[in-house]
Amino acid sequence: MIEAVTTLVTPTFLLLVLGGTFTGIVFGAIPGMTATMAVAVCLPLTYSLGLENGLALLLGLYVGGISGGMVPAVLLGIPGTPSSITTTFDGYPMAQRGEGEAALRIGIVASLVGGLVSLGILWAFAPTLADFAIRFSYVEKFLIILFALTVMAALSSDMLLGIFSGVLGIFVALIGVYDISDGGNGNLRLIPPGTEYWLESGFSLLPVLIGLFGLAAVLEQAEAGVPRGHSAKDLAVGRAGGFRLRMLRGEGVNLVRSSGIGTFVGILPGVGGSAASILAYSNAKTFSKTPERFGTGAPSGIVASEAGNNGLTGGALVPLLSLGIPGDSTTALLIGAFTLQGIQVGPLFIGNNPDTWNAMIFAMIVANLAMFVMMYAAIRWFALVVTVPKHVLLPVILMMCVVGAYTINYGIMFDVWTLLIFGVAGWLFTKLRLEVAPFIIGFILGPSAEVYFVKSLESFGDLTIFFTKSWIAWVLWGLIVLSVAASASLSSRRRRPATA
Amino acid sequence: MGDLTRVTIDFERSHLVFPTIVAAVLAVLGLAIVLRDRRRIAGAGAHWRGIWRDMDRVRFLGTLALTLLYFTLMVPVGRIWPNTGLGFLVCSIPFVLATGLLFMHDRGWRQVLPVVAVAGIAPTFVWWLFTYPFFLTLP
Repeated sequence: MIEAVTTLVTPTFLLLVLGGTFTGIVFGAIPGMTATMAVAVCLPLTYSLGLENGLALLLGLYVGGISGGMVPAVLLGIPGTPSSITTTFDGYPMAQRGEGEAALRIGIVASLVGGLVSLGILWAFAPTLADFAIRFSYVEKFLIILFALTVMAALSSDMLLGIFSGVLGIFVALIGVYDISDGGNGNLRLIPPGTEYWLESGFSLLPVLIGLFGLAAVLEQAEAGVPRGHSAKDLAVGRAGGFRLRMLRGEGVNLVRSSGIGTFVGILPGVGGSAASILAYSNAKTFSKTPERFGTGAPSGIVASEAGNNGLTGGALVPLLSLGIPGDSTTALLIGAFTLQGIQVGPLFIGNNPDTWNAMIFAMIVANLAMFVMMYAAIRWFALVVTVPKHVLLPVILMMCVVGAYTINYGIMFDVWTLLIFGVAGWLFTKLRLEVAPFIIGFILGPSAEVYFVKSLESFGDLTIFFTKSWIAWVLWGLIVLSVAASASLSSRRRRPATA
Repeated sequence: MGDLTRVTIDFERSHLVFPTIVAAVLAVLGLAIVLRDRRRIAGAGAHWRGIWRDMDRVRFLGTLALTLLYFTLMVPVGRIWPNTGLGFLVCSIPFVLATGLLFMHDRGWRQVLPVVAVAGIAPTFVWWLFTYPFFLTLP
């Protein structure tokens, strides 16, 4: 690893990680902008950078974006990103007591620990899982995708709508030709008459992603009237009660547990940072000796929330790099960076690209450390980012979305229209309570699911093969049944108070 | 039992196997949602009327209209100066400016000036970046 790092890590590489982390923190700190949006907007910039340098920028954006969300969460009580929602519960009360700076620094330390713990798990676990997954045949690969979809549904706010969104994503992904390079027959399907010219290859992944996460977010802001920015006077950074290390005394178990929960949630496909921080927070409260202090400005709450959401960063890369299944919406966008460079992620990725793998690990370490140093040293300056007016930023983001969509396939205008179609669709999804994350995962995995399913049947000619192929198939069916049962139980529990 | 589970896939029609299954699953799920949420669906009119009432229609519809105009004009304008990316530049400057002005709440000179500066600088920088260092032609 050290040898690879010394050859791959150039000053450009380091500058890109640092620049990405800085930009990510800025994006995360502006309410309404997310780490996913930061990655979507900057993706076209990775064209000419090469894979390692491109990933350095994107991973910096990812880590910075998740961490930056704590700034408005603490200072204004508004989560900068969905994953920092639980940081508002205790961060904002602390800020109102004049301890905003202390709350932010507690969050920064917790974010660093969460990020590094999850990175350790990624480093130790992803190659082992990939080595195991190499043995999978089409049957097991199809069952893995089925399992991913059921897990997503289980953790959706509404099981039925979550499954529907995922299957809808698969359906949309099947539009176009059944590709000969995948063993298909080269025939078209699901294309309305007269649209064959544009839809022959279906909808491209990246315009769909940029539309759903970039344009849709801008439309939501426009719908809400583009809320006015906050003035520096609104920011309760506070001077009294600065950060002391002893504030973290007794938080060791909470830190490790919350980081572990965040990493585990990250490993589950399609489950976002908000679930990671909510689970970590509720666990910290359950195991606390003073649960009544949670929600009133308890440092433990901030520790749990921030360690949980940063724990997600390494965890979400585990299924991506070992199975080719994105752990969350931001890692789904990372698939775009690999696609741009003509590299397929899956079980063979780490073995075939050890240099890229090492470079990614190193980029994540640098991004986490850079996030810590930048935010810890200059938290008062980052706090001012909250005051940047959105009427200046949003038009530029819209323009960057267009550039990203247009350049993705080297200049196809239909991709720009795809951006608009899916931007409006993303806005409509929130109104119809459909879920974007399962849709995206379904869209990404749909074509692979088709190949694995059809090839399994072509090879074995019997439906029972999905049960009898190997013991792995049995284990996967067990997990699928378990996740469906958990999903049904969670769903009925959620509905009970509403009907009572 | 063995015959019931046996499947033969005709290669010429193999492109329809999976889409048919997915469409059937989608239809079943859709039906389940309609049955479960029938009351909510029946009251959907009020839901959409609420969205229409509460939204900032000028900014929302204005964004959509400007975006449509931007996308529509970019290629024809670009054809005036082929392979230079100037269609993007010429359309992006007024688009960023108009969208910025649409999103503003106070339109005094002190507030407008940064929007004008960003509308000039950002598209020009992006056009230069993609045209020269990246060698990617914009519309």
